[in-house]
Amino acid sequence: MDMEIEKGKTVKYLKEKRKVSPAVIEDLKKFTKIKKGILDALKEEDLTIDQLSQKLALPHHETLYYLMSLIKYGFVQIGKMDDMDEFFSYKIKK
Amino acid sequence: MNENIKTASYDALVIGGGIAGGETALNLANNGFKVLLVEKDLSIGGKMILLSKVFPSLDCAACITTPKVSEISRHPLITIFTASEIVRIIRGPNGAFKANLVKKPRFVIVEDCTGCQLCEEACPVSVPDQYQMGLVGRKAAYIPFSIASPRVAAIDIENCTLCGACERACPTKCIDFTQEPVEYAIDIKTVIIATGFNLFDPIKIPRYGYGRFKNVVTSMQMERLLAPTRPFPTILRPGDGKMPDKLAYVLCTGSRDASVGNPICSQICCMYSIKQAQLLMGALPMADVTIYYINIRSFGKGFEEFYEQAKGMGINFIKGKIGEISENPKGNLVLRYEDINEGIVKESEHDMVVLSVGILPNQEASGLFQKKELTLDLYKFVDQPDILVSPSLTSIEGVFVAGTAAGPMDIPDSILSAGAASSEAIGYLNRIQ
Ligand SMILES: Cc1cc2nc3c(=O)[nH]c(=O)nc-3n(C[C@H](O)[C@H](O)[C@H](O)COP(=O)(O)OP(=O)(O)OC[C@H]3O[C@@H](n4cnc5c(N)ncnc54)[C@H](O)[C@@H]3O)c2cc1C
Ligand code: SF4
Ligand code: SF4
Repeated sequence: MDMEIEKGKTVKYLKEKRKVSPAVIEDLKKFTKIKKGILDALKEEDLTIDQLSQKLALPHHETLYYLMSLIKYGFVQIGKMDDMDEFFSYKIKK
Repeated sequence: MNENIKTASYDALVIGGGIAGGETALNLANNGFKVLLVEKDLSIGGKMILLSKVFPSLDCAACITTPKVSEISRHPLITIFTASEIVRIIRGPNGAFKANLVKKPRFVIVEDCTGCQLCEEACPVSVPDQYQMGLVGRKAAYIPFSIASPRVAAIDIENCTLCGACERACPTKCIDFTQEPVEYAIDIKTVIIATGFNLFDPIKIPRYGYGRFKNVVTSMQMERLLAPTRPFPTILRPGDGKMPDKLAYVLCTGSRDASVGNPICSQICCMYSIKQAQLLMGALPMADVTIYYINIRSFGKGFEEFYEQAKGMGINFIKGKIGEISENPKGNLVLRYEDINEGIVKESEHDMVVLSVGILPNQEASGLFQKKELTLDLYKFVDQPDILVSPSLTSIEGVFVAGTAAGPMDIPDSILSAGAASSEAIGYLNRIQ
């Protein structure tokens, strides 16, 4: 490359050469929407996967996957176990 | 020659940075030979670095792998190329080899990355984490896993939106989107193939329901669920987050099964399943664990005792062949099986099923050599033409094989195999010098 590369601002060079696929944009939109849905719902009260899944109209396994990702990213934490020792509720990480 | 191609020379090229390749590289380097270790993944460590604990000692896998990996990466005579692929290897007229390889861009300057993870925090993208077997997400700017070597970030360019947030967050300005693939032409005297194994994909047995029934998982997913760096805060079933209390193992999934093209025994599944069952009993003391098996093959040192220990802990062993798995409305799995001892068909309900998937050959190495063929055996592992006398010899003089690239084996045997391959390679290097 002829011009001097500006360190810390290099994404612009790749943007000229590479197109982001529509599927990547769609996945990002989906994640952002579900993330907001989960965090908004948990701001009101602690919820189980089943309750969250009903609120978001998402299958249980998808709700679990996104919720676990949000725990990993530091937004959510595990709460109490139910009386049957089967399901946890989840809460916002303060 | 294209002047953009970088050149270098080493005594030995080790292909594959799992435990077998790592051990081979260390043995060679400790004997004064200059080694290039080429790994296609972002980290060395292979499958072992992702395991929970190891049979039969139940030592923590990370506690054994981490010091080993750090010894390999700090050794002055070992150069490691991660995210790199060999394109071809040609033997020259003088008997030495020339290897062409490509180092793919990581889009991060490895030397400058501190592993602070601020790029991860800033990145808006979330995609399934391949190192957690898809059970949880990871960012497009990410450190592969906490004990990765090198423990530095990489950009998953296929899933990157090029928003630049990671770059703005990076305190050392080490993210570099101008990186391009770098080609190398390397001179070497000997090659050791340690490309490891592939796992059987249980999608190929539709009657087990993997993929359709979310509470049917593979043993590699269970390794992650049991590991200290697990994807969930505790052991939960992926279908709905229930804490499981009645688990089943289906041994020989994709092994000893000619109908899926793999008639041989994977040698490790019995023992890793017994290990996982013991770990589950420790993590979920109220749980009931049943192992459905055809035969238990506990042939190694301490293995029979390990099996007896599992029985003593209350793990159920049923000699049974699974016909079909179905799911009921509670998300539980109903296993229909032939009780081999009683000769009758039975059903039993479990809330989670682990498929003990087998070892398949990784055939990548066979296509790399030009002029002389690297022969594979009947089951497509690297052929060992002199298996009784020199098990690491291959069909090409000066090319050796280590670990599961040659066939199914556990970690101790992979390390022994690496010992054999490195001593054969050292003997060869001494002969030709
Ligand atoms: C679920 C499960 C549990 C297990 N538990 C145990 C246990 O408790 N105890 C035990 O002893 N064993 C256990 N094992 C077995 C153990 O994982 C293997 O014995 C060991 O990983 C073999 O090491 P390897 O180096 O031969 O192969 P691998 O671990 O497969 O490493 C091969 C490496 O080569 C790289 N590679 C492949 N192709 C190329 C290429 N073309 N170019 C460059 N690099 C390449 C791969 O990315 C990888 O890093 C378990 C296995 C599984 C699946
Ligand atoms: S540029 Fe790519 S990797 Fe970096 S933050 Fe944006 S999406 Fe993530
Ligand atoms: S790339 Fe930058 S922000 Fe990301 S871990 Fe490395 S130093 Fe930290």
